[in-house]
Amino acid sequence: MEYAYLAAGLGAGLAMIGAAIGIGMIGKSAMEGTARQPEASGDIRTSMIISAGLIEGATFFALAICILLALK
Amino acid sequence: MRRALRFFPILLMVLLAGPRPGVAADPNANPKRIDILYKISDHHYLDFKPIGKVELPRILRVDGAWVFYPSTTAALNSGDGWTDAWYLAHPDTVIYKADGTTIAPVSYDLVKADGSTAEFDFSITSHLAWFAFAGVLVLVLFGRLASKYDRSRKDGLVPRGTFMNIFESLVIFVRDDIAKANIGEEKYLKYTPYLLSAFFMILFMNLFGLAPWGVTSTSDIMVTAVLALFTFFITQKAGTKDYWMHVLAMPGVPKFMLVILTPVEILGLFTKPFALTVRLFANMASGKMLVYSILGMIFLFADMFGDWVGIGSAAIWIPFTLFIYAIKIFASFLQAYIFTMFSALFIGLAAADHSHDHEHGHAH
Repeated sequence: MEYAYLAAGLGAGLAMIGAAIGIGMIGKSAMEGTARQPEASGDIRTSMIISAGLIEGATFFALAICILLALK
Repeated sequence: MRRALRFFPILLMVLLAGPRPGVAADPNANPKRIDILYKISDHHYLDFKPIGKVELPRILRVDGAWVFYPSTTAALNSGDGWTDAWYLAHPDTVIYKADGTTIAPVSYDLVKADGSTAEFDFSITSHLAWFAFAGVLVLVLFGRLASKYDRSRKDGLVPRGTFMNIFESLVIFVRDDIAKANIGEEKYLKYTPYLLSAFFMILFMNLFGLAPWGVTSTSDIMVTAVLALFTFFITQKAGTKDYWMHVLAMPGVPKFMLVILTPVEILGLFTKPFALTVRLFANMASGKMLVYSILGMIFLFADMFGDWVGIGSAAIWIPFTLFIYAIKIFASFLQAYIFTMFSALFIGLAAADHSHDHEHGHAH
């Protein structure tokens, strides 16, 4: 029973690491892209939010499983 | 008539969102404990804390007949006999005060004396009530806005006053940066009404949760599921022949690959709205939980180190909460934007004419 909480906590942390790396890389590339071509910043921002949203969606699947484990 | 049709999506949303069984709370919960999941879950009442509670109507289906009560109290006091009446499913959650009066119970689940429950609980709940309120607000505000533009037609549709200026900037943003950018010049006007309705409904529901006594309807997975269902159906309706060909039999792929690709593509149809549902729900629910968790730190500290440490630590946790609140205001707009933009993106992908893409394909 206690292990379920442990698994939920570890799972949430691991999912967050993955999402943070992913979104961080998107932010890095977007900033580089904007610095190189400031006139394209609007398009870059939109694609950045789309990719970040997709990563976030995948992360929430992982977090939903963690919550299910913790509330079981 | 055309204007009435424009608001049709909102009406449908209000009608379809939500009737469902209430959420049962843990009957063994310590009344002193702050139950965060209970705080963000759906209730059969609207809580106006120091003033009181407004119990919402109960609509139950019992033995194939519909039963209506104006409130839970009315349901408890109904019935002319011992076996006919309704009882609380978890009477041990009723907290009795010293003078014999009761504080409202934690759980409002109803049972009959023989332990049977209603076949369906279609009661109006707090999330549904606030959802409907957001729908009515969108209808009223944008009905007024539209009539204002009708009147200003002769001066060239110039927005006047704060009201028109605030909403015009948002409407133009949704139309140009979400609808036109993702769906394309030819078809975007057909889907703009839905995208606008979804954007403002979600925005209002998100912002209601930040107001005193407010409830975030979007922190309920049923509400977000209904919203995503609309995107799903509109996407399938918008689908061109080309879109269905790409889903069922991707052109230019070896035949044996279709065995894997077609199921994946069909699965993809359903994972898109599912991701929309979970994204909005999880963002809004976690934001609300975060506020309660950080405020709860005060009580945790008071419990661990004594009352005065708890009161002193409030100097740290309340600015933290205010910071989260500021982020939540931003997230309210961001999540409304993201939901609408993904809806537009899915519709745009389905409605796109791929004929020019194939020419590219042949080139290389």
